Amino acid sequence: MSAIQATGTGTATEQTPRRRHLTDRVKAERRLAYMLIAPAVIVMVLVAIWPIINTFILSLQRADLRFPQNNQFIGFDNYGSVLSSPLWWADVAHTLIITVFSVSLELVLGMLVALAMHRVIFARGAVRAVALIPYGIITVVAAYSWRYAFELDSGWIPGLFGIKSDPLASTTGSYIAVIISEVWKTTPFMALLLLGGLALVPDELHEAAKVDGASTWQRFWKITIPLMKPAILVALLFRTLDAIRIYDTVVIFNNGAHNTETLSVLASNQLLNRLNLGLGSTVSVLLFVLVGIIAFLFIKVFGAGASPTGGD
Amino acid sequence: MESTFQKRLGWSGAVVLIALFALVPVIWIISLSLKDPTTIGDGNFFPTKFTTSNYSSIFKQSIFTDALRNSIGIALISTVIAVFIACFAAYAIARLDFPGKNVLLLASLAIAMFPPISLVGPLYNLWRNIGLYDTWPGLIIPYMTFALPLSIFVLSTFFREIPWELEQAAQVDGATPYQAFVKVIAPLAAPGIFTTGILVFMICWNDFVFASTLTSTNSAETVPAAIAAFPGASQFTEPIGTIAAAAVVVTIPVIIIVLVFQRRIVAGLTAGAVKG
Amino acid sequence: MRALGKGGLTGLAAVLAALAIAACGGSSGPPTLSWYIFPEPSGSFAHAAQVCSKASGGKYNIALNTLPTDADGQRQELVRRLAAKDSSIDIIGMDVTYTPEFADAGWLRPWIGANRDALKGDLPGPLATASWKGKIYGAPDNSNTQLLWYRKDLVPNPPKTWAEMLADAKKLAQEGKPHYIEIQGKQYEGLTVWFNTLVDSAGGTILKGPRTVSLGASAQKAAAIIHALATSPAADPALSNSDENAGRLAFEGGTAAFELNYPFVYPSIQADDPKLAKEMGYTNYPSVNAGQPAKVTIGGSNLGVSRFSKYPQYAFEAIKCLTNAANQKVDAIKGGLPPTLASLYNDPALAKPYPFKALIKQQLADAGIRPQTPAYADVTIAIQKALSPPGSIDPKSVLSTLNSQLKAALSSGALI
Repeated sequence: MSAIQATGTGTATEQTPRRRHLTDRVKAERRLAYMLIAPAVIVMVLVAIWPIINTFILSLQRADLRFPQNNQFIGFDNYGSVLSSPLWWADVAHTLIITVFSVSLELVLGMLVALAMHRVIFARGAVRAVALIPYGIITVVAAYSWRYAFELDSGWIPGLFGIKSDPLASTTGSYIAVIISEVWKTTPFMALLLLGGLALVPDELHEAAKVDGASTWQRFWKITIPLMKPAILVALLFRTLDAIRIYDTVVIFNNGAHNTETLSVLASNQLLNRLNLGLGSTVSVLLFVLVGIIAFLFIKVFGAGASPTGGD
Repeated sequence: MESTFQKRLGWSGAVVLIALFALVPVIWIISLSLKDPTTIGDGNFFPTKFTTSNYSSIFKQSIFTDALRNSIGIALISTVIAVFIACFAAYAIARLDFPGKNVLLLASLAIAMFPPISLVGPLYNLWRNIGLYDTWPGLIIPYMTFALPLSIFVLSTFFREIPWELEQAAQVDGATPYQAFVKVIAPLAAPGIFTTGILVFMICWNDFVFASTLTSTNSAETVPAAIAAFPGASQFTEPIGTIAAAAVVVTIPVIIIVLVFQRRIVAGLTAGAVKG
Repeated sequence: MRALGKGGLTGLAAVLAALAIAACGGSSGPPTLSWYIFPEPSGSFAHAAQVCSKASGGKYNIALNTLPTDADGQRQELVRRLAAKDSSIDIIGMDVTYTPEFADAGWLRPWIGANRDALKGDLPGPLATASWKGKIYGAPDNSNTQLLWYRKDLVPNPPKTWAEMLADAKKLAQEGKPHYIEIQGKQYEGLTVWFNTLVDSAGGTILKGPRTVSLGASAQKAAAIIHALATSPAADPALSNSDENAGRLAFEGGTAAFELNYPFVYPSIQADDPKLAKEMGYTNYPSVNAGQPAKVTIGGSNLGVSRFSKYPQYAFEAIKCLTNAANQKVDAIKGGLPPTLASLYNDPALAKPYPFKALIKQQLADAGIRPQTPAYADVTIAIQKALSPPGSIDPKSVLSTLNSQLKAALSSGALI
């Protein structure tokens, strides 16, 4: 059978002089591609795209879950209310504070853990396995564990640090608690993404630099970091997108009290407590837009994902 | 050379710190689950009075054992189906060229970026109307849908690592495309598929938002949602002991998976760059 | 197939036919009424369901189903399912604050005629929580009200007003003795309960009618008391994070002199610390104005019949059984849930577990009720946010903050 009729293989191993055959192959390739992606596309469209579109539609209406027959189209009024509400901007600030602090901490700690995972030869498997444990714990469980750890009576942290006041009864304390819980849970994920980039830095460069008399610190900043830039950007992108949507941890700690209410908690309050589908959907859409803006910034401005290790 | 010794000491120290960092909250929750209920408020890290009553009490409640059964079953089935579907799509993305590839990737990214809390409402109504509320498929379908973007991403990265020439060499040697795929490609893709499976399983096992809104009884409630329904000693008492015990039971399989399969997980998330 | 032989084949066919008939025949038995309520740990509800199923004489069975433990989760699940006209809920176990919302949305069947008469044994407070626009929409099943618990060894004469209590606590603080006043100051429903109690006790109300804010001098006084406690030495450092459980633990831990909490703390301290339990006394909730008894906000549950139930007549009957004197007695003794029937407060069986039952009955007869409005969920969020954390309340501007928050809550176009 000629390679021309074979489906699915992209590179031509034979030179075909006539354009008609190329087009046939291209057509066959496309047909196969569509058949292959069909199940995924169908599932995603039916199950995910429909609710997303529904959310957009609801955000343009005055809608109460209890009275679906009274839904009223009001255009962008909801967007006006939300964007002019000081509560929205306060929650944006809370969300950004948690995101910036937790992602930066995760980056630093993740880098340290990645370096350790890379360098350690002895019991490498065990080290990596232990470092991965937080990744495997259910977020809700991790949040409970850290919450009970911080509580004034039942927790071990106040006793250890001699804290007499309730850490969770202050804004700063609540932020610290939530951020520590988040950082603990996701540092392994960050460490792994960074480890991928670390493993691609050729040892020869380090050897050459050592010969030239460069110190460890200099080698780290002048060789490792620049070469890891794609991996760092991808790691930051993924983690930031997740951190902005933080929900489980905040709810378990104190449901957004003490100025820790994040945008997801705000959306859930309007949607599930107030049953105000219009406002709740608007907050969700705006949150999505915010996430999109961050993704855009990372991809287009910082160039995340542009290299082979970064994926597509 | 002493600097190597110092370096090794430094790294060993780092390893100890990392181990502490990772394990302290886990040991703490185990300790909470073993504390006698009257000593829960004493603030000690280790229990002064031991009891296994929390464990015996959760296993007596069918709400927990049913939830465990549901969690395992639903997560496994979702994983298998998601990986299966994602394989096809990832192969197409990695190997083939077709218009709409970027649209597909953007759409997947959009799905992965949308706040899940807003999707439960429309999904709940849809499921009520077609009768999938409080059923296994009712959770399996959203889980595999929302696991698809990550699965497609990880799998396509793996598939890209596999050299095309192997497939064609096999065909030149006379194998059919199917044989080429099964005998040459599949074994090489197996690690990537396995890793994706583990990542998807973790996502399904972890989920709280969908489980709490799309289920209501023992027939489909999973563990994260069931924990929220644990009764305490009274209406106002929070059942810290039983929540901790349930948390430990639910964490053990995950820790075992992580320990046994750490190489695969590392390989998967480092895009195959680190093979361990 | 050949191996089975002719006889075997016929036998197989017979078995298959029998199985098919059994499967298709469907369950021909009494209908099952699904009762959804919060998870009650002692099993008194399960007991009631069993007893009433038997009492129906084969007409129906009652199946007990549990909702999430937290009140928010309970309401969210009920609302989601009732809004979707779920017919698999027959008997709804509603927190007392749900009545206006559920009734207004048309999800509850009113109790009229003979059904209404069956409720005349209930105390006025609980019955008021089940009313909306002149009709009753639920049968009170259990109630709850807070009392003032105090250390007899530190405070021989318990205070009668908030001002007295704060002064007593300050004195104890100066003497270096345990002096905290435990109360629910966390940003959750308990804070609304506290505020509502103070406003009602001061002689005012939070809302006048379902959508009109009516905050005045009483609200100002109430907010001032909260602020005063939060900034005085009497405040537990964990006040802004305290719920009922935290208060109980703090009192049992010995750091508190006063505690405002539900009666569940009584059996708890007997079990956890019998020595300290001897020093725990109880009295009426302190009043705001001297000589004017407090109107304490009541809690509890009412059982309603879902409009979408397939067996409403059976549901009414079942509820009448579930809330009868015998079952309420079991709920009270085994489950620690104060009853709503006036007669039970004279029952000697309740004397040992509820030595303070006269106080409870008194407070249930003249109770504070949380704002009755279909928008209650919005109202309570607004109140919680305006008063959190209690230490940061600015007495000068709190009234206008409350007003604007409440107005936003009652409008469907504003974020809260």
